[in-house]
Amino acid sequence: MAKTSPTAYWTVRLANERLALRLPRQPVLASVGLLLALLALLALSLMLGSYSMSPAEVWQVLKGLHAESDRAIVVWEFRFPRTLVAALVGAMLAMSGAALQNVTRNGLADPALVGISQGAGLAVVTLTIVWPQLPGAWYPWAAFCGSLIVAALIQGLSWNRQGGSSIRFILMGIGMAAFITAITSALLTYGDVQRALSALAWLSGSLHTAGWPDVQMLAVWLVVLMPLALGLSRAMAALQMGEDTAVGLGVSARRVRYALISVAVALAAIATAVVGPLGFVGLIAPHAARRLARSGVGLHLLLTATLGAFLVMLADLLGRVLFAPIQIPAGLVTAIIGVPFFVVLLHRAQAKTTF
Amino acid sequence: MTAAAVAPTGSRQHLWLGLSALPLCVLAVTVLFGWHVAVGARSVPLGTVFQALLHFDPSQFDHIIVRQLRLPRAVIAVLVGASLAVAGALLQGVTRNPLAEPHILGLMAGASFAVVMVIGVFNWLGGFWLPWVAAAGALMAALVVWLIAQWAPGGATPLTLTLAGAAMTAFLTALISVAHLLNQDSFEQLRVWLVGSLAGSGRELVWVALPWLGFALALAMLLANKVTILAMGDEVALGLGVRTGWLKIQALVCVVALTAGSVALAGPLAFVGLVIPHAVRLFFGSDYRWIVPYSALIGAGYLLGVDIIARLILRPQEIATGIVTALVGAPLFIHLVRQRAR
Repeated sequence: MAKTSPTAYWTVRLANERLALRLPRQPVLASVGLLLALLALLALSLMLGSYSMSPAEVWQVLKGLHAESDRAIVVWEFRFPRTLVAALVGAMLAMSGAALQNVTRNGLADPALVGISQGAGLAVVTLTIVWPQLPGAWYPWAAFCGSLIVAALIQGLSWNRQGGSSIRFILMGIGMAAFITAITSALLTYGDVQRALSALAWLSGSLHTAGWPDVQMLAVWLVVLMPLALGLSRAMAALQMGEDTAVGLGVSARRVRYALISVAVALAAIATAVVGPLGFVGLIAPHAARRLARSGVGLHLLLTATLGAFLVMLADLLGRVLFAPIQIPAGLVTAIIGVPFFVVLLHRAQAKTTF
Repeated sequence: MTAAAVAPTGSRQHLWLGLSALPLCVLAVTVLFGWHVAVGARSVPLGTVFQALLHFDPSQFDHIIVRQLRLPRAVIAVLVGASLAVAGALLQGVTRNPLAEPHILGLMAGASFAVVMVIGVFNWLGGFWLPWVAAAGALMAALVVWLIAQWAPGGATPLTLTLAGAAMTAFLTALISVAHLLNQDSFEQLRVWLVGSLAGSGRELVWVALPWLGFALALAMLLANKVTILAMGDEVALGLGVRTGWLKIQALVCVVALTAGSVALAGPLAFVGLVIPHAVRLFFGSDYRWIVPYSALIGAGYLLGVDIIARLILRPQEIATGIVTALVGAPLFIHLVRQRAR
């Protein structure tokens, strides 16, 4: 931050100069802009679809007019919860990616690339096929356990006498993802056809079944996990300078690493439990946020979350509108957007930090 | 003989081992072949199997099952197993990358994508041009993956190649799924094929793919000698008079033909090309004159065995063969990463 000139900050003095805040101008502007874009996207998502509406009509419905009409049902029962789920899931996956990239010090880490989402997927598919009578509240917990086991396995396996290695971590993750996908496919062939089909739709990362209960659950979890992630942001900043420096700065590197991995896994697992594996969001959002505005770790995390929400909302909207009435699952759209991005990142990766 | 001069120490031991293991391996493959034909929803005694193969009697029901249904599948398993194992071995030698394999490097995704697109758009299934389409897709995918890896800092290392391959696979898989959703009717029949299965394809496809695989396997045997030298490094190979660029192009053509033929026959079967060459290397060292033929032989036996397992576990249902190869291969991949990647 040494390069930035003094004018890059706004200073807010409150309560007779007893409380002063120095706000970096660029990230604050970026967040405001992103929030506006998010609102615009929300409006678009409510308007567009197989039953299009004008902005005025949507506004009327939102104000509570025509409560019993078809329009109200479309907006309140289908589009609104779906868009909110997209936003929440995007925010969670993006933060998970940011935390994961920080822990592994690898800019290419993404929960769906290293098998963490697949672990959640396997757990949920097992639940739907083997114990279909269990209530939906179990799914996030199962997903969390599945992801945690995968994360622990990759982390444990990529750790050897020379210490951890980010290359091993990511390659290990790719192998693990292939392995878990195979088990999931085997389960699908074994299980009952109807249940297998519903699991198959879920596995491509689709939001079409999202409803208000999902919104509630995601919101509760986000409220729990987001402060945790933000609380860890100072330690994350120290870890970015390398483990030795972090220890010198008084950070318990080991404990912070475990805490960060747990938070990253929890975020990814819960998002996956609701919408299925949604790739590349956790990869794109942190990098894009960094390019949008240079900022400290905490603010960067917030920007990342907003960007992730934006991305998934956009992916869902595109998948819904492009080939209407056929709906393309958001997971496919994020993969198609994400891979070229991944290639560019691979090109940019600094030989010293990543390899 | 340059090759003899650069052959690794202990090559006499390998010669002895290589020659003496040959009848054993051939015997094992033959037995597996017979067992593969015998096993299924209706078990056929092994004696009847060999009788049906040697003295075919069209009035017997079991003989018809063996000849019409089981035999093509076993032949496909042999062909595909041998081809994929050899393709993996060549890729590993030429890229000097222990993780290289047609599936990991995205070649299979390219071939599948091309086939799916052609079938989906022109609504036309199978036939003479199928391997050509698959080959075009595999070649494009291989070139793009290689370019991406070259473009990354540090060049085409095992890491960048693997990551580029994984990215390529993710991208093309997503596109295939989108195409599937857009045109469900014509893609329904491809569902099983896309997981990698030996069940779907018929006898006529064997005759289409056979020239491809035969040509490529023969070419692989011819190249094996020089690949051994290339595996020691480009400088060494140049110094010993190998035209490395030309050799790499030949190897690429060979790998693409093998992958295309296999994908046309059985869909994308993951990790066969990874497991077999590594297993072969354990016994026969790093001389590709041994690795290539034994990869073909053991790969054939391996896929026969895997297909037997896939049909036995959940009898009378069967798992797609590709699932079983991934279940076996992915742990080996993880092990290799753990050992080799720094």
